[in-house]
Amino acid sequence: MEEILVKYSAEPSVLIPVLQDINERRGYLPRPMLEDLAARLGIPLAEILRVASFYNAFSLTPVGRHVIEVCLGTACFVRGSNLLLERLEDLVGVPAGGTDKDRRFTLRTVRCIGCCALAPAMRIDGVTFGKMKLDKVGDILERFQ
Amino acid sequence: MTTAIRTEKDLDALAREGEGSLYPRGLKLLIGSASCGISAGAREVEAAALEALKAAGLDAVVARTGCIGFCQAEPLVDVILPEGPRVCFSKVTPAGIRSLIEGYAKTGHLKADAALCRFTEEKYVSAGTTRPYPPGTNGLGQVPEWSTVDFYRPQERVILRNCGSIDPMSLGEAVARGAYRGALRALTRMTPEQVVAEITASGLRGRGGAGFPTGRKWDAARTQEADAKYFICNADEGDPGAFMDRSVMEGDPHAVLEGMLIGAYAIGAARAFVYVRSEYPLAVSTMEHAIAQAKAAGLLGKDILGSGFDLEIEIRRGAGAFVCGEETALIASIEGRAGEPRPRPPYPAVKGLWGKPTVINNVKTLSSIGAILARGAAWYAGRGVEGSRGTTVFSLVGAVKNTGLVEVPLGISLRQMIYDIGGGPSGSKPVKAVQTGGPSGGCIPAAMLDLTIDYEKLAQAGAMMGSGGMIVIDEGTCMVDLARFFLSFTAEESCGKCAPCREGTKQMLRILTRICEGEGKSEDLQTLQRLATTIKAASLCGLGQTAPNPVLTAMRYFGPEFEAHVKDRKCPAGVCRNLTTFKVDESACIGCGRCVKVCAVSAVAGTAKKAHRIDEALCTRCGACRSVCPADAVINV
Repeated sequence: MEEILVKYSAEPSVLIPVLQDINERRGYLPRPMLEDLAARLGIPLAEILRVASFYNAFSLTPVGRHVIEVCLGTACFVRGSNLLLERLEDLVGVPAGGTDKDRRFTLRTVRCIGCCALAPAMRIDGVTFGKMKLDKVGDILERFQ
Repeated sequence: MTTAIRTEKDLDALAREGEGSLYPRGLKLLIGSASCGISAGAREVEAAALEALKAAGLDAVVARTGCIGFCQAEPLVDVILPEGPRVCFSKVTPAGIRSLIEGYAKTGHLKADAALCRFTEEKYVSAGTTRPYPPGTNGLGQVPEWSTVDFYRPQERVILRNCGSIDPMSLGEAVARGAYRGALRALTRMTPEQVVAEITASGLRGRGGAGFPTGRKWDAARTQEADAKYFICNADEGDPGAFMDRSVMEGDPHAVLEGMLIGAYAIGAARAFVYVRSEYPLAVSTMEHAIAQAKAAGLLGKDILGSGFDLEIEIRRGAGAFVCGEETALIASIEGRAGEPRPRPPYPAVKGLWGKPTVINNVKTLSSIGAILARGAAWYAGRGVEGSRGTTVFSLVGAVKNTGLVEVPLGISLRQMIYDIGGGPSGSKPVKAVQTGGPSGGCIPAAMLDLTIDYEKLAQAGAMMGSGGMIVIDEGTCMVDLARFFLSFTAEESCGKCAPCREGTKQMLRILTRICEGEGKSEDLQTLQRLATTIKAASLCGLGQTAPNPVLTAMRYFGPEFEAHVKDRKCPAGVCRNLTTFKVDESACIGCGRCVKVCAVSAVAGTAKKAHRIDEALCTRCGACRSVCPADAVINV
């Protein structure tokens, strides 16, 4: 926490960048860290939780070793991303938003990653896979253990 | 770059340095390395190129560049021969680049049969000059010239002027092509008032969606008396289907910074922010690098270009909320709060960030500014049509052959866009509609493709320009399902502050879902109309005021399709599961077995090379088999 906060000035507007930092390092926002943050920044915990739950980028629960993000932007949608999502739900065994019990994958949906010309697209741990075919999804998942 | 740039001479010196890096003496390879290029395998191609060059003992510069717009043909590699020209190769594989380099090393000739195009000159748009490559085709005469390729012919690149031609990490290369010439003119030879007048005269309107005249917005903030003012670049490109802002930031970050510098000078802001989506990590890091570079070169910081004007630019990353593209919500987010909009007026130009006068401009608007100041308002206003001047960028995607970023003067027709540039539908199904403006826009039917693309014409048709997403839809898409998709988007992204948007979108979504599931009631269509009217009239911000547009246009132009769902319990496009039955057309089936592999419920069976069959009792009508069938043999009956 010290390490994260040292980068920021004392403006209340640093809340979101600080939460982003924590979320990136830990994959989610652990409750004790938020309590600690509330005390340090002098912002009520309720306000922090309100911001944390408003934005899609923050997670309040732990994630798996690999995070799959299925793009549900319009270009992906008209090229069948809902089928891609169903295929992934099937293979990972959890609905969108869930994490499998081995904590291998967290499956999420995302509103457009800006790779529309490669639709339908998905991202695993930040690596983008474009022009996805349903019968290729399984092979790609195998690369992430 | 150690010394600060203070004068025109300093800029000239940096331009010469940049020219040397753009065109080194020997061979140069330029790898398209924007997000789209990287996801198509640009890094692997780059590694293979470096290895092959080393093995062949060839001395060459390998550089990275942004996206030249033809995203679907990525990875793109340009080879600049020492004796010219520049040749662009598409869909390059590691093996392909290896054999290209080996061949060149052996024969001294570039095997360019498969090349996409060549450039015999480079247009330096901001500088207003062209730089020809050495004359002579070098045995590459059969490769088509860039400006004759269908995808590029009608295009005119102002916003994207340097994307795909420079290394986005190099300030010198940007300056060589004219970057910061507009800023130099504005800051050292013009008053803020004159800068605003120049932008007003250019006819530039906001490229973020609503199309408000940029000069008027700037003037409103300029004339405010305040102890602090702020300038914000809105790079929260939330409209799904639009990605040009990402591409500009990844490919030509200094164009955005130059626009911000000029705008901040015009309104008198000393602090500026780039609010960029966190879904765009490469854009964030490229912009961060460019800001540090501009600061080191004295193009940001204190006493910029010796004008006495100071400016600091910071990056703020979005946290994944579509509503933050709305300016008052964006301001709330920078202030560290939940991104909820507030009523306007007061407009941000009067009372914005921390209560101070603030201008918020979109990335495309800002990257047009430097060129306008460098070339003059009349030059810019000479493009486009009455009321919609200049050029803008569309992301042409969906069911169309050529997908990518397209920059055209305003006023061309949708038909030219989809058929001339886009090459027509990508599959065997005909074009059904084109969707513009994202979740705030609408669907224009194929019968109306002669409509010209300008702010007013699109609005009259019930759609809107929006931020430039243009999604081509073919007969395989159900318009009711698409309307449901957009409503599920807006219902989820509604911030929840005002009831018409929060509750209204939810109810519309419920009705649309019911219709898609085959449970539609006869009065549903009227209820949808009534809800839509109320939501448009009563919502607080642009999100709610425009949320019903996709449904309204779909109902206006595709009424019979809605009727078919409600009255006949049929989905003509074969998308809505409860209203569809799939069958294999035995005469078309090639027996490849791909459908068998993807069927989650084992409802498809058949032996190799023989026609397959779908067991209707097991089939869940998900359509997975149809989506992978290479022969279009799965049909909806």
